[in-house]
Amino acid sequence: MASLRLFSTNHHQSLLLPSSFSSKTLVSSSPRFVKSPSRRSQIQSVLQFNRKPELAGETPRIVVITSGKGGVGKTTTTANVGLSLARYGFSVVAIDADLGLRNLDLLLGLENRVNYTVVEVLNGDCRLDQALVRDKRWSNFELLCISKPRSKLPMGFGGKALEWLVDALKTRPEGSPDFIIIDCPAGIDAGFITAITPANEAVLVTTPDITALRDADRVTGLLECDGIRDIKMIVNRVRTDMIRGEDMMSVLDVQEMLGLSLLGVIPEDSEVIRSTNRGFPLVLNKPPTLAGLAFEQAAWRLVEQDSMKAVMVEEEPKKRGFFSFFGG
Amino acid sequence: MASIDSLQFHHSLFNLQSSIGRVKLRIPSSLVLFRRRPENLNWVRVKTNQRFVCKAISDDSSTPDEEIIQNDNDVATTTQSNIPRDSNDSITRFRSMITNIARDSESSISRFRSMVTTLPPFIFVMKKCSGNSLWIGICIASTVLVAAIRAYVVRKSRDHRSTGSVADLVRRGQLRSGDRRGISKSLNYEDPFNNPFVKLGKGSSTVEMCGKVYRLAPVTLTEKEQTIHQKRRSRAYQWKRPTVFLKEGDSVPPDVDPDTVRWIPANHPFATTVSDIDQDLAQTNVYQKQGVPFRIRAEHEAMQKKLEALQNEEKLNNLGIDSQNARDFQRPYKFSAKLDDDNLPKNSQENQTGNSSSEETHKS
Repeated sequence: MASLRLFSTNHHQSLLLPSSFSSKTLVSSSPRFVKSPSRRSQIQSVLQFNRKPELAGETPRIVVITSGKGGVGKTTTTANVGLSLARYGFSVVAIDADLGLRNLDLLLGLENRVNYTVVEVLNGDCRLDQALVRDKRWSNFELLCISKPRSKLPMGFGGKALEWLVDALKTRPEGSPDFIIIDCPAGIDAGFITAITPANEAVLVTTPDITALRDADRVTGLLECDGIRDIKMIVNRVRTDMIRGEDMMSVLDVQEMLGLSLLGVIPEDSEVIRSTNRGFPLVLNKPPTLAGLAFEQAAWRLVEQDSMKAVMVEEEPKKRGFFSFFGG
Repeated sequence: MASIDSLQFHHSLFNLQSSIGRVKLRIPSSLVLFRRRPENLNWVRVKTNQRFVCKAISDDSSTPDEEIIQNDNDVATTTQSNIPRDSNDSITRFRSMITNIARDSESSISRFRSMVTTLPPFIFVMKKCSGNSLWIGICIASTVLVAAIRAYVVRKSRDHRSTGSVADLVRRGQLRSGDRRGISKSLNYEDPFNNPFVKLGKGSSTVEMCGKVYRLAPVTLTEKEQTIHQKRRSRAYQWKRPTVFLKEGDSVPPDVDPDTVRWIPANHPFATTVSDIDQDLAQTNVYQKQGVPFRIRAEHEAMQKKLEALQNEEKLNNLGIDSQNARDFQRPYKFSAKLDDDNLPKNSQENQTGNSSSEETHKS
């Protein structure tokens, strides 16, 4: 049995994993980020302003977003990262592989436009292009649901069906998508097995609590057994106030326990719930919220196959002057 | 001039004369002199750390200049009477220092005096206020009240801001009506982080995001640690992805690895081992790029065949009764055509009800 070190000695107050701060800021080995020592270039290297990310790896990149534990934010991550990629100009197909409890269409506000699913495509009730729901906000983003809530997927070719879908998307007339993002269901049941079948890389979403971490470690082990080696981690729902009070594990503690590269850190944000209820993903908010910014940064690093080499640690709140009471 | 506040700053002298307590405070770099002017007060000397001396003297008639000079003499006199004889040298040095300071500050004192004399309204106000502290209290109370009201209003407006007016929703990008109103701009990848809540700190060491200040801390995970974790997991989790799905109760085929079998219960909520369609056909359906989908085409063809079969059947049936029935249905129209000149409404009603017309034909 695996022995998870659940208690770490160093409690950092790390919250937001900023951008691919990696060698680009601290070591400054990449010239495209740090072109000049000016302030603006430095902050651009930290927050990655005003530059389209360069796509790394072979297309289509097939990424499965999984966690093991439910309710940690897989679907939210899929929606926001997917739309962020679309905003960066990449063609994205998001597949909701949650067979029993699909919700990605709700988060994207596309629930009224899902008429056909993969099950209908398999049965020959529709073609694949008819089952793809194109987002009107970003036309290079398409949603594909694998089944309707009450229908059952024939598992005889469940995993194969996703591989056929990927092949069909590669050869479609309008061109292969740059990203195929698969929203994996919770657990390690038949839905999980189906979802990870065509994936080349995985994004593990977890929260900084021991239940999610144990499941995440298990799922990581299963993914590695299945041959998926490129696994990165998103730590979701991070609360700096609890980290400061040592009531929550810090991001660096989580990383130390799982031993995975960091793709992003998403702070706890009430806007996530609001955006979910409105069917309007967080990254489309203007101005973006803190969590939306973090999702954007995670999507950026996903494009460039980068990982975080530094985290953002919250400082003490700024002391306000006496005259701030009077509006100064 | 006893009630005038005099404040003098010098490089080594700090002279404060308050009107309220009539206190004169002189602070050289190494000495502090307090001079009080209430009547009938004798010399009081206080030593602090052997470097600060506070004195209160009674001196009502002297002018500030005289006070300074006289103060020097007082200090000298007091020093002579109290300090041991062997410190005469230091006293002398101190005296000369004070004298020099006084001389140097003469010009500034005179300037300050002239400035004070040119401010009669201020003096008047000070005199009046010193007599009536009610107005000061009212001013302070009103200031506190205004500040409290302002803080309350600001807090209230901040709370109400998140309730979400239409303009707020449009501004946040959550309502698309902004497109029609021309308020919102489309978001481009060139500017995804144009966020007014993100500010750069001094020296780029900190970043302020949404009102919170963050500093950067490097990640400590190394490649070696990652490898150790991978090895630990590979030892802990031995797993093969299932490729064969069987219903519970079925027997495992002989050529299948039992580790790759996944058992699906009959009442599984979203998975089944039963498929209505052939695997190759399903693959063909997925790969279909254009044209009518398989099942739609198949259903259409089946319906077409059924319809054709029905039509053929109808034709055969019609052929069997055609000769008699055709004549029967044609007669009333011919008959009514002969009578329609006299009775059109009646015929029209009869045409709508075929039975009645046929009855009439039979009668005829």
